[in-house]
Amino acid sequence: MITAKKIRFIKFLMLYLILIALALLWIIPIFTLISTALKNKQDFYSGISLFALPDVLAWDNFTNAITQGRLLTYMKNDLIISGFKVPLGIFVESLAAFALTRLNIKHRTKWFVFFLIGMMLPMQTALVPINVVYNKLKLTNTYFGLFYVYVGFGISFGILILRGFMKGIPKDIDEAAYIDGCTKWQLYYRIIMPITKPAVATLMITDFLATWNEYLLASVIINDNAKKTVPVGLMTFVGEHGTDYGYLCAGVLISVIPVLVVYLAFQRYFVEGMAGAVKA
Amino acid sequence: MKGKKSIDWPAYLFMLPALIIYISVIVFPVFYSLYVSLHKWNGIGEMEFIGLSNYVKLITQDDIFLIAIKNNAIWIVLTVAFITAISLGFAVILNKQFKGRTFFRGFFYFPAVIAPIAVAIIWRWIYNPNIGFINEFFGAIGLDFKQNWISNPETSLYAIFIAALWQGIGQPMIIFLAGLQTVPVEVLEAATIDGAGSVRKFIHVTIPMMKETFIIVLATLIVAALKVFDVIQGLTGGGPNNSTQMLSTYMYSQTFKYANVGTGTAISVIMVLIMIFIIVPYVSFTAKED
Repeated sequence: MITAKKIRFIKFLMLYLILIALALLWIIPIFTLISTALKNKQDFYSGISLFALPDVLAWDNFTNAITQGRLLTYMKNDLIISGFKVPLGIFVESLAAFALTRLNIKHRTKWFVFFLIGMMLPMQTALVPINVVYNKLKLTNTYFGLFYVYVGFGISFGILILRGFMKGIPKDIDEAAYIDGCTKWQLYYRIIMPITKPAVATLMITDFLATWNEYLLASVIINDNAKKTVPVGLMTFVGEHGTDYGYLCAGVLISVIPVLVVYLAFQRYFVEGMAGAVKA
Repeated sequence: MKGKKSIDWPAYLFMLPALIIYISVIVFPVFYSLYVSLHKWNGIGEMEFIGLSNYVKLITQDDIFLIAIKNNAIWIVLTVAFITAISLGFAVILNKQFKGRTFFRGFFYFPAVIAPIAVAIIWRWIYNPNIGFINEFFGAIGLDFKQNWISNPETSLYAIFIAALWQGIGQPMIIFLAGLQTVPVEVLEAATIDGAGSVRKFIHVTIPMMKETFIIVLATLIVAALKVFDVIQGLTGGGPNNSTQMLSTYMYSQTFKYANVGTGTAISVIMVLIMIFIIVPYVSFTAKED
């Protein structure tokens, strides 16, 4: 008994040692980020090591990022775009996934594969065509223009996850609901969607992350400073101010807050909801 | 309810919004890019039809294009080898029952929530030859090992990959964790009773039962590796001397910096072709499962 207990204890000790070693490696960039955000530009060149703190902590990096850096404007823009993209995308994707798993559609596998192909296409192919069309339709520098493209690029992954999850819901439920007089819409809205909640929560996290952090399309579609999103806005910190890293790192730290909030709010569904992707 | 033979139009109505958006954002641009790539065009003036010249020039005369292809291939190999293995390792460890598991899951996932372009900026700072973390660290432990990690063409690609690895573990780790939940406990217990050790159980029971998970992780990682842009753009922009040029960054600079829109779209069409070639096995597998 004692030896078995000892072995278990040693196993746990090793597990924690491995975890702590990995965590120490993984924390380097985060440590750098925080340590830098608290220093003034002069501090770096006056020989203060990255591992030490200056006498006066440079909290004004944070206030500067917000006031001079217009970070709040960028965050507001990003929130508006994500606020439209995420719910609208999930709505459109879930309708399609519902049709593909529970309604009478011919060649449903072919349709699914057709939707899936979009996941493979690089955003680069969309850059030039969308630029041309948006210039004609006057959609450059509009919130709509950007989140419409984001919804398009999210469809493949959304359908993959939601379809995988909905396939696991027993078909008996549908029949019982139809017998009780449910319409297709009611079946979708009242019965299937509430069960699909874990997958929806997973998509909320991944979609919000992808939208909040997207750089390439945002940099091409938006060039009006007042409409820029966070990643594009952070890049202006690099140009405009000759890269003051303290200021930039403070900006990065502030910009991560909304994503952390969303992650923490939905994380208990995260692993479960991802199951929709791995049950092909 | 309607008979099975007539087409159930309301069912298609549910699919319609997704279909319209998908066709306008994904399908149309591919064909439009194909059309533009057959022309010489600066993005503003008239297009001049030149057939396949853009493609021929890229493949036969453009050394930078070939460097980009090579770099993308290296990047895919590095991604498949290291990110898959390390994220699987993390998932296995974080799937065990222990105190603080939720914390550690969140901790190792954290880099994945930062914008890739911001990750590039952080790492540019870490690699700073004078006061960056790495050189400071070597200095602090008494090693004179100062390197220009990203401005040296020999090391820059791998230096960028380390940054990408740090961030890239989170997403596949979560998918692997989800996959580990699909392995039935009874099967693992049966294997234990048959006398299988934990390593053998993992190789002979867990991995085969996670086939779908491996396929989706590999497919998404390969696709992402072929598309990689932000972290390169933010760290080197393809330099020094094109040594970290990728298809995506080269496409971007051809199109938006040099206004060779025809060449740029040709590169993007080539990316699509490579993607289709790589991804056909995945799609046919997913379709067969039905």
